[in-house]
Amino acid sequence: MVELGIVDIREIVRIIKKSYDYDFSNFALTSFKYSLEKVMAVNGLINAENLFRKLSDAPDFFDSFLHDLFIPSTEMFRDPSLWRWLREEHFYNMPERHLDNYKIWIPQCISGAELYSLCILLKEIDLIDKVKIFASVYSNKSLEFIKSGRYPLKKLEVSKENYVRFQGSNTLETYYTLSNNEAIRDTSLIKSVEFIKDDINFSKAPQNLKLILFRNVMIYYNPTLQNLILDKMNKSLSAAGNLIIGIKETLKPSNALSTSFELINNNESIYKRKI
Amino acid sequence: MNIDVTKYKALIIGGSAGSFQVVTKILSSLSDKFPIPVLLCLHRLKHVRSGFVEALSLKSNIPIEEPNDKDQLKPGRAYLAPANYHMFIELANRIALSTDDPVNHSRPSIDLSFTTAANAYRDKLIAIILSGANRDGALGLKVVSERGGITIVQDPKECEVKTMTESAMQLTKVDYVYSTEEIIRFLSKLNYT
Repeated sequence: MVELGIVDIREIVRIIKKSYDYDFSNFALTSFKYSLEKVMAVNGLINAENLFRKLSDAPDFFDSFLHDLFIPSTEMFRDPSLWRWLREEHFYNMPERHLDNYKIWIPQCISGAELYSLCILLKEIDLIDKVKIFASVYSNKSLEFIKSGRYPLKKLEVSKENYVRFQGSNTLETYYTLSNNEAIRDTSLIKSVEFIKDDINFSKAPQNLKLILFRNVMIYYNPTLQNLILDKMNKSLSAAGNLIIGIKETLKPSNALSTSFELINNNESIYKRKI
Repeated sequence: MNIDVTKYKALIIGGSAGSFQVVTKILSSLSDKFPIPVLLCLHRLKHVRSGFVEALSLKSNIPIEEPNDKDQLKPGRAYLAPANYHMFIELANRIALSTDDPVNHSRPSIDLSFTTAANAYRDKLIAIILSGANRDGALGLKVVSERGGITIVQDPKECEVKTMTESAMQLTKVDYVYSTEEIIRFLSKLNYT
């Protein structure tokens, strides 16, 4: 892979800011660098200048750049214990009146792994038609990918193992078919999901949410951007709404917003917005 | 062998099959005032989140933790790459975790931890590859060497599985090929500064 230097990365950030008004300056440097190098490899770009030029001169490229740059959630049903918690501790026994106007948001969808997992869970407990799901995407490429149902085979084996540990009521095979060396997920699962084409600062964040699934996204930010985005999440949640982040992400005491949230499950990093 | 013990900022160790006992021995040999952070990238099962730190801690002289994202590294502590995450080292002595695709079928990947640590610490890094059954770590050790860090591999003759150390040696002219006892003796020079 081509190795980018810090000067190259600053130039890329500058070009994107100038051409598209997207600010990547507060993304965590090491993972941002690695992602950029992967984007270059995928697109056959052999040096930094190639990428500068593509970003400056080819607006179509930026859409696919946004799809390729962001790390999709790894596999479906990552951390099965979290999905079990949602089913057994959260949704089971939820009073009917709480389900009125129950809105869920997945702020960053790239491959749809979290989205399809959530929809499968909700379908199996017969809540899929009772809640409202919002899913934000940064690019048309991500949106098309998710709506096509396509899913890489190499991620399917782990997804199946995860599903078994989740102890769902079927097998994962129930929810996809195989075709041309890839899986096609059952797109009827996401038929009532409302997709939002948004920017990387979530300017169109939905409001009055009961649940935000935002796992392993903030690991790609530096602490400054983590604070900014957490503030957005905080404002989007209704009182006592839940924010779920990755198991190795935390709201550190140094974080200005840590007092706005109460940690209700340490193992799964589940927070509740204080009333 | 003369090394300037005050120069080094971090020690990183990578291992896979057959490395657990070796890591345990190394950790039990370090003084509780070991002057730099110890980064551990060891292959482990994706879905088993707990138990590994506890097992490694039994005989360790220094505290071991699985860091959270953006945690600051401190001297005299060991940081074990958490299950199902890559562990990157950021420039400001911080951990940055990643859920990017596995590399060499591994997440955490030793190549990624070593490469990012090499970029962060340049010639102030000591890197050790231990016993293991795949090629992960070979490329990472090469980057450490290119940045001027010290490269050590466990003597393949002693390794339970020698694929990992041999792959590393094929790719890089490593500084030292050491038995576990020799690794411990080498690190003891850092112990008493």
